[in-house]
Order: sequence, then C-alpha cells, then structure tokens
Amino acid sequence: MAVATQEVREKTSGHTGIVDCDVHPYPAHADEIRQYLPMPWRDRFGSVGRGFYGNPVHGSRLDSTPPSGGPAGSDPAFMRQQLIDEFGVAYAILLPRTFCNLQPDPDFGTAVAAAFNDWLADTWLSRFNPDGVFKGSITVNIQDPPAAAKEIERWAGHPHFVQVMTDSGARVPLGQRQYYPIYEACARHGFRFAVHPGTDGMGINHQATPGYPTHYIEWHTCLSLAFQAHLVSLLTEGVFERFPELGVTLTEGGVAWLAPLMWRLDTEWKALRSEVPWVTKLPSAYLRDHVRLSSQPLESPDNTRDLLQVLEMMDAKHILMFASDYPHWDFDSPTHAFPKLPADLHERIFAINARQWYGLPAPGTDGASMPETLDPDRR
Amino acid sequence: MGRHVVGRVSEVPPGGRRIVDAAGRSIGVFNVKGTFYALRNSCPHQAAPLCLGAIKGMTLPSRPGEYHWGREGEILRCPWHGWEFDITTGRSIFNPHKTRVKAYEVTVESDQAQDEEPDESVETFDVTVEDGFIILHT
Ligand code: FES
Repeated sequence: MAVATQEVREKTSGHTGIVDCDVHPYPAHADEIRQYLPMPWRDRFGSVGRGFYGNPVHGSRLDSTPPSGGPAGSDPAFMRQQLIDEFGVAYAILLPRTFCNLQPDPDFGTAVAAAFNDWLADTWLSRFNPDGVFKGSITVNIQDPPAAAKEIERWAGHPHFVQVMTDSGARVPLGQRQYYPIYEACARHGFRFAVHPGTDGMGINHQATPGYPTHYIEWHTCLSLAFQAHLVSLLTEGVFERFPELGVTLTEGGVAWLAPLMWRLDTEWKALRSEVPWVTKLPSAYLRDHVRLSSQPLESPDNTRDLLQVLEMMDAKHILMFASDYPHWDFDSPTHAFPKLPADLHERIFAINARQWYGLPAPGTDGASMPETLDPDRR
Repeated sequence: MGRHVVGRVSEVPPGGRRIVDAAGRSIGVFNVKGTFYALRNSCPHQAAPLCLGAIKGMTLPSRPGEYHWGREGEILRCPWHGWEFDITTGRSIFNPHKTRVKAYEVTVESDQAQDEEPDESVETFDVTVEDGFIILHT
C-alpha cells in the first residue's frame, strides 16, 4: 500500500499508465438518477440495484466506501485516490450498473438507461473528468432495439463515450437479428459494444443454466456460460460479416474458457459450415478483428504456468485487456492478479490492446494516429 | 525482536482492533474475548489491507443442508475477496496449511517501559487490570 505511485506505474505498465476496462461509478443516491427521469418513470424508479443473487459476504470492497459517505464508487476523488493514482491508471472505462434490461416494460427500461447516460455524461464524463481519465459506456435497453439505437444516436460524437453496453441477461442470444439496429448504430458511430454480467435469470431474462442455481457461488461461477452462448451466437449468425465495423467487448465474462470453446466451434464449423454459409472462415478467425475480453475475474490456477499457457492459447496478446472491476468485491489488483508476464505481453494486456480497441491516445501524445481499428501486426 | 506499545488494554476492548505501524509494517492488533492477537495487515492473496476486514464468526463444516454458526468474533474476512482467516493463528480457513498471514506475539504487561525479554507467563495477564499495556512483538 505504501509503494510510491511512480514505482507502481512502472511496475504495472511501463511508462504509459494502464487502461482499466471495467470500473463502476455509482450515484451517491437514487435521486441523482431520478432527476433525469421524466414522469411517469420518475416515481417508478426505486433503488439502484438488482435485489437478487446478492453476494452473501459483501458486494464491494469494504475499503472502497468513501470517507465522505455514500456508497462505494460514488466519490470521484476517492476513486481517483484508491484506483487511478494508486495504480497509475491512464484510462478507466466506466460501466454504470443500471440493470435496466430486467424490466418487463421496455419503455421504463429505456427511460432508466437514458437517465443513467445523462447522469454519467453530466458528472463522471465532464465535471469529474478534467483530465479525460474517465471514458464512458452508453447503457442501452436491449429489449427494445430500435429505441436503443436512438439512444446511441443521441450520444454520437461525444468525446468520452467509447462504447455501448448491455447486461448479459437476455431473452435470446445476442447474435439474433432483432438486435441488429443496435449493432448498426454502434458500427455507424464508432462505438464498441460491451456485454457485462448482470440480470441473468432476473426479471424477464433467462438464466444460462438448467433453471435457477441455489447459491450465489453457483450463479456467479456460471455467469461465463451466458458469455459463451452469446459469443457462439454472434459468430455463427454472421454478425461480423453483416457489420464489419462492429467490435464486441466481453467484459467480466471469464477468460480461460475461450480457447477450448473456439476449438470446439471451429471443429463443428468444418462439418457444419453449410448450415451457416455466411461464416466464411474459421469462427475463431473473427476474434482478433472483432472481439476483446477483459481480464477480471481472472481464473487463478495454483500452477501459474497453467494460466500462462491458457493466455498463449487464447491469443491474449491480441485480445485480452486488463480490468479491475473496482470497487466490486472481486476486484483484481493491477499488481497482484496476474503472474509475472513477459514485458511485451504485459504492456499489451495492461495498455496497448485497450488503447487500440477504444482509440485512446497514449498519455502525453496527441493521438493523431488513433483510432486503430485493426491490429497493427496484421496491417 | 522489536517491542511496540500498542496502547492500553482499555483502549482496545473485546471485539475491537487497532492498526499500528511497527517495524516498517502495518499490523492489526485484535482483542478477541480478552486475548490479544496480531496479524500483518496485508492479505496473502492480492495484498488487500486485510485487518480492515469484518470480524465475524463462520459457518462451521457441516453436512449438506445444515448450517452451524460458530467461532463468533474469531474470524477475519478480507475486505476485498472475502477470504476468511483465523485471527488467533493467522491461518486461512480454506487452506490453513498453505495460505496464512503472518501472526505476531502480543503480550499484556503492567509496565510499558520494560526492557528485558517479556516473561511468557504474562501473555494471559488478567485484562481486568485496566491499565495494562498491549505490547506487540515483531
Ligand atoms: S486480497 Fe484478501 S481475499 Fe483477495
């Protein structure tokens, strides 16, 4: 804890500062969101939370509660102290937790998403953001894709929104065609599309297990199942053929499953390609151009060599991006979550991959060469 | 062996704790039902400030479907990922042999200026002697 910031900065990311791809800002009070909601929704907005499958121990790091009061993640000065300055974070990608797509009423869900976007834009992306360290995610309500596309339009050209986000909780897999207005809007306006766990099995959404697991530990472990299903759907439905500019960020969905799942899908494709003729190459061959995974919660086998092999197998060098999940309970420390990595791999995972993905200039540069859509190794 | 005066017994009541800097380290001193223990304030997992965690009991090993709550006040739960540690030994609950945090000796003595090696027998000094000093040995 007492290590000087500069030393941490060098240890974590060379000299450029890390990019943390999963950080959660919270309103200090539900009224901060309510003020952006028109009637009749204002009266219907209850609390900020999902109220189901709560962590039985604690949901956020106990030491992340700001001394100023208010919930974890609600005080920008304290977040800067505990995350940005402590670890030398150059950019924090913010993903608010709205849980809007568990709502059965699509109009209410859309209104909640818009209110959070207004709140984020007015606070963390402007007032709290003089140095531009915070980059935002536009929340959309995926049960009404045309409305979601309109919400994306509303923020086109904003200097600090870098992606659109949804919870992984859904009624059908994300490759299916009803979602295409969202992907079309993302591609048109240069936003990545992020999927983050949440609302799985809640409200109107299916749970990606055979029914409801009993415990939080089961539900939380199995969150990666939905991500696997969504990814297989996106690849086989030909979403990346239809939207060549689309990039999907799989946030907090797990890491170690990717390589074996792709082996399986590639094998299936060799025999079943004729069923999905628009998939014109091995499904795994779409990943570098179109998919990134964020690292937290990183699987941690006892033998760290096992993890290094997994990283190699999954092409982490090109598609893995560091995330801490601050301030949540399963926070991955930039200095302790990973085993020692080769320097170039470390720099890619902790900084370069995300900077390229989101078109963020290296700190101290003017960013003239950004954004880089495709991997530089391949151009 | 360093010898650090943590405070008076009356200042750290049962169930309480005090975090001190001693020998260049942050160390948490705990009063568990009248006996003092000390643990390094750094979690062996990802180096969280362990001693800021919740002081709890734990669900004891049990048959499926049964819950037995016990050891109230003896278990420290890490403020980050929630790993449980036995305050009295520094050993983790899930792997007591391999995963542990450094524990330090604590004694209660009547005189904070005492220079010689403390007598082991004073470790369980009667804490009703309100003016005793909590001494941390590093
Ligand atoms: S840092 Fe203590 S449980 Fe992870």
